Amino acid sequence: MWRVIPGQALQYRVWDDEFVLYNNLSGDTHLLGANAVHVLLALQHAAADEETLITSLCLSLGIERDEESPLQVAQLLADLQSLSLIEHNAC
Amino acid sequence: MLTVSALTRSELGARLQQAGIHLQTGAFITCLQTSIPSVVDGIGLLYADYPLLENTDFADFHIRLTRPRGIRRWFKPQVTFMYDGMSLFKPLPLDQAFPMFEWGLNWCVSSRANRYLIIHAAVVEKDGYAAILPAPPGSGKSTLCAALVSQGWRLFSDELALIRTIDGRLVPLPRPISLKNGSIDIIRRYAPQAILSRAVSDTTKGTVAHLKVPADSIARAEEVARPAWVIFPKYEADAAPRLEPIPRARSFMRVAENAFNYSLLGASGFDALASIIDASLSYQFTYSKLDDAIEIFSKLKPLA
Repeated sequence: MWRVIPGQALQYRVWDDEFVLYNNLSGDTHLLGANAVHVLLALQHAAADEETLITSLCLSLGIERDEESPLQVAQLLADLQSLSLIEHNAC
Repeated sequence: MLTVSALTRSELGARLQQAGIHLQTGAFITCLQTSIPSVVDGIGLLYADYPLLENTDFADFHIRLTRPRGIRRWFKPQVTFMYDGMSLFKPLPLDQAFPMFEWGLNWCVSSRANRYLIIHAAVVEKDGYAAILPAPPGSGKSTLCAALVSQGWRLFSDELALIRTIDGRLVPLPRPISLKNGSIDIIRRYAPQAILSRAVSDTTKGTVAHLKVPADSIARAEEVARPAWVIFPKYEADAAPRLEPIPRARSFMRVAENAFNYSLLGASGFDALASIIDASLSYQFTYSKLDDAIEIFSKLKPLA
C-alpha cells in the first residue's frame, strides 16, 4: 500500500493547472502536474494500492484504463517517492 | 528631521570617526563608524537625504570600516568590514571601501532581516503598484531599475525585495543603485541629471559606481506597496522588446530560486511568495533599449 508520509501537510497552490507544493518535511518546493496532486490527495484521504490509484486517476481524467496506465502510475508513484512525499508499506 | 545633508563634510567626517552615525535606510537603522575619507565622501554624496538619528543607541546593524594595522597600512592599503565587532569578509583594497560598505550592508539585510521574505530582485513602484524584477547578475536588472527610477518610478530597492510575511506587501529599502561596467556610462547618458559616486575599478564585479536615490523615494520609505507584476528582465543586444507571459507556477519556482531566505522561512515563506504570485502578473521581458523598456513599463496594467 502507498501512503503519504506521516506529517506531510501537502500545502499547495494551483495556477493554470500547474501545482506548487511545499514539502514541510524536507523544506523543498515542487512543481507538479495535476495527476501527481490527484494521487497525493487520494493517498492523503486513504492509503491505497496501485490498482486503486489507477482506477481513481482514470476516473478523474475521464479516460479508459489501457495497457500504459499501470506503467504511468508506477512511474508517478516512484517520482513522488523520490521527492519524499509518499512511501510504500508492504502491509 | 535631521538628514545627513545638514552636516558639513568636516562635521560628518568627525561624527563618523568618533561615535559613528545612526543612519535610517528604510526599515533599518545602521550605526556606521569609519575614518576612511572615501566612505565619508560616499555617505555625504549619496546619503545626503537620509534621516540621521540622534539620541539613540539602537541600531539593527553595527558596522565599522577600518584599515588593518601593520605594514599593509602603507603597502597596498586595505579596508576591513566589521559587523558587530567581527571581521566576516576578506579585506579589500582601500579604494573599494565605499562599495564594500554597500555590499556589506546588503549582506547584513539579506542574512539578518528574516522577518521578511527576501528576494534578490529590484523593486520599483508607481501608483501604489510594485514591479518585482528578479534576476541574476548580468541581466541588466540594475540598469533597467536606474532608468525606470529616472523616469518617475519610485525606488524600493535595486537588490533586495523585502516581502512582509504577514500580508505580502513590499517594504521599501531605497539605497544607492549599484551600476557596473558599461551600465555606468549608459545611465550617465540616459539620465544626465543623475548623481553617481566615483567609479571604482578592479573590483570583483569590475568597475562599479553607485547612483543616488531620488529624494522622493527616500522620503516615502515607510510607504509599502502591493505587488502587481513579477518581471524577469534580460538585456539582449539588438533585441526587439518582448514582454511574454510566464505561467504563474513557473514564476513561483523562479522567484524562489532567487530568494535568500525562502527555505529558512519554511511554510510562511511559501505562503508569502504564493501571495505575491496570486496578486501579480508574471512576465519574461527581453530588451535592448531603455526607451523601449520605459514605454512598455508605462503600459503595464495590474490585475483587475
